Amino acid sequence: MSAQDLKILVIDEHPDRAAIVERGLVEAGYTRVSLISASVNLIGRVQALEPDVIIIDLENPDRDTLEEMFQVSRVIQRPIAMFVDQSDTASIHAAIEAGVSAYVVDGLRQERIKPILELAVSRFNAFSRLRRERDEAQAKLADRKVVERAKGLLMKKKGLDEEGAYNLLRRAAMDRNRKLADIAQSVITAFELEI
Amino acid sequence: MSEPVTINFGFTPLVDCAIPVVAHEMGFAQEEGIRLNLVREASWAAMRDKLAFGVLDAAHILAGIPIASSLGLGGAPRVAMIAPMGLGRGGSAITVSNTLYQRMLEAEPTIMTGPRAQVARALRTVIEQDRRAGRPPLSFASVFPVSSHNYELRYWLAAGGIDHARDVNLGVVVPPRMVESLRMGWIDGYCVGEPWNLRAVQQGLGAIVATRADIWQDAPDKVLGVRKEWAEQNPDLLLALIRACVRAARWADVSENRTVLADMLATQHYVAAPVELLRATLTGKPVLRRGAEASDLPDRHVFYRQQAAFPWRSHAHWLLTQMRRCGQVGADIDMRAAAESVYRPDLYRRAVAPLGLPVPAGDWKSEDREATGEEAV
Repeated sequence: MSAQDLKILVIDEHPDRAAIVERGLVEAGYTRVSLISASVNLIGRVQALEPDVIIIDLENPDRDTLEEMFQVSRVIQRPIAMFVDQSDTASIHAAIEAGVSAYVVDGLRQERIKPILELAVSRFNAFSRLRRERDEAQAKLADRKVVERAKGLLMKKKGLDEEGAYNLLRRAAMDRNRKLADIAQSVITAFELEI
Repeated sequence: MSEPVTINFGFTPLVDCAIPVVAHEMGFAQEEGIRLNLVREASWAAMRDKLAFGVLDAAHILAGIPIASSLGLGGAPRVAMIAPMGLGRGGSAITVSNTLYQRMLEAEPTIMTGPRAQVARALRTVIEQDRRAGRPPLSFASVFPVSSHNYELRYWLAAGGIDHARDVNLGVVVPPRMVESLRMGWIDGYCVGEPWNLRAVQQGLGAIVATRADIWQDAPDKVLGVRKEWAEQNPDLLLALIRACVRAARWADVSENRTVLADMLATQHYVAAPVELLRATLTGKPVLRRGAEASDLPDRHVFYRQQAAFPWRSHAHWLLTQMRRCGQVGADIDMRAAAESVYRPDLYRRAVAPLGLPVPAGDWKSEDREATGEEAV
């Protein structure tokens, strides 16, 4: 059995992240990858799939259920360990920080498992980065909209031109050591109260 | 005074997270020079791993986990942890679905009005009915493989003459998901800490058939858990943390404070459960099944009295005996040595000395479980 023949199960409540991990594994040549997102009949499905490796997000509450299952010998045929080389604390740290945990059938060689774990960790990190970037972009966009609206109000109500309205906001933000968008929001609120 | 030191402290939404929450909210931590960063965790496995690898410094954690982690049980990485304080006693209960409760009542009306410790005998009759009818076994959940709830459930079943391995399915579900699992019919009953029993009663889904006190009031439950290495690197900080928690535990035991405590815990940051349930359980007046009068259980939650915060080494030893019974720990383990290395009453004594509070003279006591008199299998 080559490394790529290992049966890998990805359990994740974020379907987007699960898809990113799955795609990475498939691109790396692992063909036997399954996904589980909801926890309905978790134990039955894990039993039916008989995975060699389970990649599951660290925070997933189903981990407690799985760990019990792994300890009951009549449910599971093969002993399962968390991660594979427990002396490799650097890898474990990287996994925990990325939010990845892995359960592996005991006896599989470390060099077969390590690339899978590393791939999952890098994909989890990529997912976090994408989400952070998306959140930041959304926040920036929202800020810009608020500033535009405040500018518009100042232009209309105070007879300022666009540059004058912007400078007023910027000076207020600098004087009070606050974000431009916060000042803009206060301006909007103030005008709304007047109306 | 110098800048407070931040401690990342993990907790699970349960009534017994009260001690760290009070230490933070009532300023006991701050008075000890600590800023508690309280982090709610969704699973015990995640809590264990984050504590083991330094994402968390300290945790409100099942007493079995620092022991299991120190011994490398259950396939998890072996990381030495210590438990220098207990986080209270009481608080758990066994709930069954309404359907199962009705069946138990119909099968054994006399037993069901008798002592709660014995009502599993009615469950046994129901199980026999199912077996004769060829129905699949009932399923029960506790909260983690090495939780005292798992052992408690087994004791309760054994007291009814039920063989947990043959007669029922036993599994694990995280506390906040118990009620939903009962509603969905995935499980027929469970053992968990409050408020997740009262929540099922309130929602008309289940009935509480036994409380911790009916099985063994003094059973260990949660402890303050820290990594041994962290404890050795931060000796004074750890003593300050224990002190803040002991002061919080004393505050939480004052009956006049219990309503405030219930309001505090009910919020979204902490337990996120209806305040009336927290008030009922913390004032010892829970309604155990729909339509019943509120019970009078003054010791439902004890945080400090009766030395509830003291980390008895005999508790650790008892947990190890249960782990051995369940096949979670091998016969080669020196249980006494393991109990002594994980449970650290020496640190508790040192921490509380400046407070002038009474502490037990010994580290061991006789752990006679009352009530059932039967052994778990």
